[in-house]
Amino acid sequence: MSKSKEQRIEDSYDVVVIGAGNGGLSSTAFLAQKGVKVLCLEQHNLPGGVATSFVRGRFEFETSLHELASYGPQSNKGSVRTMFEDKLNLDAEFVQVPEAFRLILTKPGEEMDISMPFGVDNFIDTIEKEVPGSKESVEKFFKVAKEIRDAFSYIGKSKGKPDQGVLFKEYSNFLKTAAYSVTEVENALGIPEKAQKILNAYWAYLGLPMSRMNFTLFASMVLVFAEKGGWIPTNRSHGYTTAFDAKIREFGGRIEYNTRVDKILVEGGKVVGIETTNGDKIKTNYVISNASPTLTYNKLIYPQSEVPEIAYKDVNARIHGLTGFVVYVGLDTTTEELGLHDYGYFIMDTMDTDEAYDSWKKLQPPKGLACCVLNNAVPGCSPPGTCMLNITTLYRPEAWKDVKPEEYVDIKNKIAEELIIKFEKATGTSLRDHIEEIEIATPATFARYLKLYNGIFYGYEPESWDSIVPRLIMMGKDVYIEGLEFAGGFNRRAHGYSSALADGLISAQLTLGKLLQEGGKE
Amino acid sequence: MSKENEEKLNVTVRSNTKDLFAFTKLVPNRKKRIERASSEPIREDTINDLAWKLHPERQFLIIDEIKEETKSTKTFKLVPDPNSVTKELAYFRPGQYVSLKVDLEGVRITRPISIASSPKDALKGFYELTIRKEENGFLTHFIWNNWKVGTKIESSGPEGFFYFERLRDLTQIVGIAGGSGITPFRSMAKAIIDGTIGAKLTLLYGSSEEDDIIFYNEFKEMEKNNPAKIKIVHVLSCDVITLEGCEKGFITKEIIEKYCDVNSSTFFICGPQLMYNFVEEELKKFNLPVKQIRREAFGEVKDILAHPDFPKEVAEKIFKVKVHIGDLTKEIPAIATESVLVALERAKLNPPSKCRSGECGFCRSLLLDGKVYINPVSDWRKGADKEFNYFHPCASYPITDLEINIPRDI
Repeated sequence: MSKSKEQRIEDSYDVVVIGAGNGGLSSTAFLAQKGVKVLCLEQHNLPGGVATSFVRGRFEFETSLHELASYGPQSNKGSVRTMFEDKLNLDAEFVQVPEAFRLILTKPGEEMDISMPFGVDNFIDTIEKEVPGSKESVEKFFKVAKEIRDAFSYIGKSKGKPDQGVLFKEYSNFLKTAAYSVTEVENALGIPEKAQKILNAYWAYLGLPMSRMNFTLFASMVLVFAEKGGWIPTNRSHGYTTAFDAKIREFGGRIEYNTRVDKILVEGGKVVGIETTNGDKIKTNYVISNASPTLTYNKLIYPQSEVPEIAYKDVNARIHGLTGFVVYVGLDTTTEELGLHDYGYFIMDTMDTDEAYDSWKKLQPPKGLACCVLNNAVPGCSPPGTCMLNITTLYRPEAWKDVKPEEYVDIKNKIAEELIIKFEKATGTSLRDHIEEIEIATPATFARYLKLYNGIFYGYEPESWDSIVPRLIMMGKDVYIEGLEFAGGFNRRAHGYSSALADGLISAQLTLGKLLQEGGKE
Repeated sequence: MSKENEEKLNVTVRSNTKDLFAFTKLVPNRKKRIERASSEPIREDTINDLAWKLHPERQFLIIDEIKEETKSTKTFKLVPDPNSVTKELAYFRPGQYVSLKVDLEGVRITRPISIASSPKDALKGFYELTIRKEENGFLTHFIWNNWKVGTKIESSGPEGFFYFERLRDLTQIVGIAGGSGITPFRSMAKAIIDGTIGAKLTLLYGSSEEDDIIFYNEFKEMEKNNPAKIKIVHVLSCDVITLEGCEKGFITKEIIEKYCDVNSSTFFICGPQLMYNFVEEELKKFNLPVKQIRREAFGEVKDILAHPDFPKEVAEKIFKVKVHIGDLTKEIPAIATESVLVALERAKLNPPSKCRSGECGFCRSLLLDGKVYINPVSDWRKGADKEFNYFHPCASYPITDLEINIPRDI
């Protein structure tokens, strides 16, 4: 490889951000806006990480976003909207998806087909209609969820030093549920089993069974969708991530694509610089890694002897999350012709989430799907007379570990075909003769483009012991190398677009604080 | 604080004390779990290993054998360079290409070339690339003069979307090929015969002279041994035809109808640009759904002046392009009728590129100032890229002075 010496980047930077995923972009934009000399290095030639799009024929497909939480309408802005509109003035347009979701449960004897509206009261009433007598308990679920939301807001305002007395008095339910799983709390609230199935439909967005998923995180997510709706960019995720890129440059920051960091140089426990496969040697005392701690500690820190034992233990103690499988379909007919009237479909063979999760451990058609019909949210997103659809499921990476290259296409096609059939059966439509374009992303595809460890795009699983409450309380104590912060779905806010975006801001603020402390910046 | 005026809810999971105690134990428990965990570094990453096998960023190859196919066509058999990191060749889908990176005395240029061998051959350790020498082909002249057995070649992994997809396509494939556009169909035919693809192929192959036909005997043989799966029809535009069973002229609606069940076929087109223009007009007459016609990206537009909306007045002009690449800023000349990519390559900037057709987006760059002409047929950009002034240099032509920001090759 003859790399040009004269193209090398040899300047020094206040902060280097590794990766232009959601967390890396928000970190970089924040720092650039504050006048910090910041460089974001991205190994791919596009911003966004999973938050991107791709073109096949007449279609531009959304890569991974189903709906963005914490965006909200103008009148009830969520934190992401506040960040995009008020803080960054990002040039990106979003629309609300029409309904919360349609849950189709196909298990014999437990069949259900229910469309859920947004709005907490609508949500509760719709469940009551389907499961008479559930209202009181579901109301309690949302009451606790609101208390959790308010508790986080209070803790945030107290700058991480909340008054214990206030917490006990005002937010006791937040404290008392923080150590429990969704199932434990929902049972304690007396929510009927069938109502739990409906409430739990969003589980796939976090991707661990309700018996292990921390209640605090899950309830917060359900509440934010119910209160603020789900939102998507009109121009796919590439629209807003490209707007980020433009804004970062406008603020005087720099993003360099096709530039893969292969070393974070550490001396005496402190970050001193980075090196890239292009031969760049860049001095910096602060790195924000949008790569996972798993990758950062195991692959990037140089020399390896600078990785403290506790960092390996930290990574090994945690449960790595899921990778995924997506079938993207461009159809030469309309949603009306197909009879597809909803945007988001959860199609479940079972709402026993342990059983569905177990199905993701094997190389077989999974028992749970999440599908989006983009045209039902963004009508002009594909040419007249066409529509597009994605069918998404999840996998544990182990399921794919023995796949040989020569079997790969057959395996992915077979799974994709079964997913299409499941979708057709559940919705009573027929796609097969209308498929004009089809693309299939597997765990290997996510590894290829994003270089994620084992293709895992969901971060560490938020079981109660490792959910956001203990992560946030331990914030700062898990910095094992001075000058190194993380940002993104593997960090303190857990995974999901809005969590990763918000996390990037926190990491940038912390880094800015340190820069200011050492007097390097005004 | 927005507390509602309601009776205070009191949730109890186990008991008041136990629930609060569980909360206080969250952090100590987490610390304990971390402390008890293994301190072994993680070495395996099987999914990235699979991804690298399927999609290596580079393959280092060496020419093992050269075969003359016609007076102007050679097949190069490539194997992994034993002195490189490439130990095995990436498996691929028949119809895909590799983008070669060739160093012409310091000018590093890429060229997409369809793989003519079958995927199973890749498992045996070789690719075959069949290349036709072009009259004014800068690169092919270099290849004819320099490529010998033992020459080292650098390529990308397999790329492109010109392949049979059973979830989308009808199992009767009609290939329409012109000239060296037959090469992906050789790969498809072999894959059909060995069972890698469950489809049938009827190939309508246009050539201008009998001795320009590539793989004549090979296809005859494949057809003879697999009459239910492979059929080839030669369409010759020359005046005198001595070969049996050929059609005379061009690949017209009548010829297509004569040999194909049009409505139950998916058409795959690969050939020179002129053939596309002709064949697409013919296919329009059948009013087929878009999905039944698939086109291989045909590489860089040869004669941009022939495009009616290209601003002719700039045709003779040479513009200045200020290029930012990494820490380097350089001003280079660019001819209006050549793509920005070519100008970047001539200036020895080693820009990234693969398909040279506007399709793959690998050369995606930012237009900071000035205007480019983008041929609508090759404009595969994403919606937001159009809005934010990103462009694909391989499919864009300078029509003013430019300032651009391009990524380095990875």
